[in-house]
Amino acid sequence: MSSAPHLSPPGLSVEELSWGHPLPGSGWRQLFSGFSLSCPPGQFLVVIGSNGSGKSTLLNLVAGTLRHSAGRIHLGGRPLHRLRDHQRARWIGRVMQNPLEGTCPGLTVAENLRLAERRNRPARFAAGFLISAFGGIHPNGGDRRRYRELLGELGLPLADRLDEPVGQLSGGQRQTLSLVMATLGSPDLLLLDEHTAALDPRAEATVMALTDRLVRQLGTTALMVTHSLEQALRHGDRLVMLHEGGLIGDWNAAEREYLEPAALRAMYGAAIVAPQSSSAADGSSAS
Amino acid sequence: MFSLWIGAYDQGLAYAGLALGTYLTLRVLNFPDLTVDGSFALGGGTAAVLISQGAPVPVALGLAILFGCLAGMVTGLIHTRLGVNDLFAGILTTTGLYSITLRLMGRSNIPLSETPAGILALPDLGLGLDGQWAVGLSLATVGMILLISFLMATDFGLSLRALGNNPTMARANGINQRRGLTVGIAAANGLVALAGALVATYQGFADVTMGIGSLILGLGMVIIGEAVLRPRSLPRALLAVAVGAILFRTMIAIALQLGLEPVDLKLATALLLLIALAFGRLRIPGLSADQGRQEQ
Repeated sequence: MSSAPHLSPPGLSVEELSWGHPLPGSGWRQLFSGFSLSCPPGQFLVVIGSNGSGKSTLLNLVAGTLRHSAGRIHLGGRPLHRLRDHQRARWIGRVMQNPLEGTCPGLTVAENLRLAERRNRPARFAAGFLISAFGGIHPNGGDRRRYRELLGELGLPLADRLDEPVGQLSGGQRQTLSLVMATLGSPDLLLLDEHTAALDPRAEATVMALTDRLVRQLGTTALMVTHSLEQALRHGDRLVMLHEGGLIGDWNAAEREYLEPAALRAMYGAAIVAPQSSSAADGSSAS
Repeated sequence: MFSLWIGAYDQGLAYAGLALGTYLTLRVLNFPDLTVDGSFALGGGTAAVLISQGAPVPVALGLAILFGCLAGMVTGLIHTRLGVNDLFAGILTTTGLYSITLRLMGRSNIPLSETPAGILALPDLGLGLDGQWAVGLSLATVGMILLISFLMATDFGLSLRALGNNPTMARANGINQRRGLTVGIAAANGLVALAGALVATYQGFADVTMGIGSLILGLGMVIIGEAVLRPRSLPRALLAVAVGAILFRTMIAIALQLGLEPVDLKLATALLLLIALAFGRLRIPGLSADQGRQEQ
């Protein structure tokens, strides 16, 4: 981490994380036990694994929508594990799997962007609501101009639909908007939870191209969960594979060049194959 | 006959705060709040006690709003802090509020013999006291609509709307769901309590049972307003809700004129809402059966 550029965003560190959940009927499933993973500043980490391996759970634990039973999560030295999900949102941008979940369908495109823009200084509800009120009406003309420029720069047709309810957009457009929202305000960490899973191939290509561009442009640390082996082999700086809450594979970009989709698919099927190299990627340790 | 219409207009506007409060909780926050039955009577009782003891009407209305806000806050805290189901949290508060209102009033009914001086100072438009009430209540309703429209267009209002629309997304964007819901429910019940106070002042008495069925009344007003004006923006929706309150009271006046017994009014209102719910014209969170359950 000491070699990181001075102005680079903070890295993510997950240490000795434990989490489990009750099973239907009776019993308990301990998914994570002492799980550790670190992601250096600015790294684009791709996480793969079979269903139930803990990929999305890991993202939810980092985001705070699930509470861990033990362990620590730090983002650039900030103890995220002590904060609630809405407090963590100040530094974390999230794109969810379902395009319906990541946006407010009843609000307009501009209103959704305004909410995301204020993520690191949200409206205060108690005594501060008057201060918020005197902040005036938002999104106003200035906000709209800014959003139009931003969307125009990214080449997105949404620039002309700022005042339309998001519920009228297609799934791909909503997910594109969700991605732009997640990156507004330059978050320190971007969490992408199978964010192209519900999209058609064309929309998927558009969203992934935008993902690469925004992550590079911001230089933000990013965690992307995916089931697409093609995405796993083409995007990001590092690839890890989870199984039953444990890290069973860890490849940096150079090592990933030698990975074949068939080999990864075999690991998916067996999910017990030892990684060819688990020490090469920086800062990781399997549980 | 004209006095019937102007009377319905006045009553509708007196109830507008109830309709606006119901709209805020059900449509904006997506929260079925049964506290309104209790906070409406609490507002009426508070105003009646204070006015009958010589307090200025604005002070009485202000305290009614404050008590209504506190009642809503209690429901919000029970739901968000203790994890009690939304409907049950409202029922608990309303049940407790009955005793509180009765203790506050000291007896079940308080008459108010004098019309407030502020109303008497207004122009009567050639309609006498009804005209003066119409002017006063119109000003109050327009003020409420403008204030809520403004607040809903700020970052504060945007956050409340996001919470009702998609709480997961709202939290992912840094919005404190617990605090937001509590403040929203408190504000809505403040409006409802104001309506209770205005109704008590207008009709010249407050009764501890005056809040029974308020949620259903408020719902009826919201439905009628939305059905007639089909609003596409929040300010228009607020206006539609106020118009719905007037139309609802007008329908009641007509029904009474046609011979409906006053004791049957609540039954007629309930049946009307039941028909709307059964035919799926009205989707109310927590009150409408979900499709899956209907099909089982």
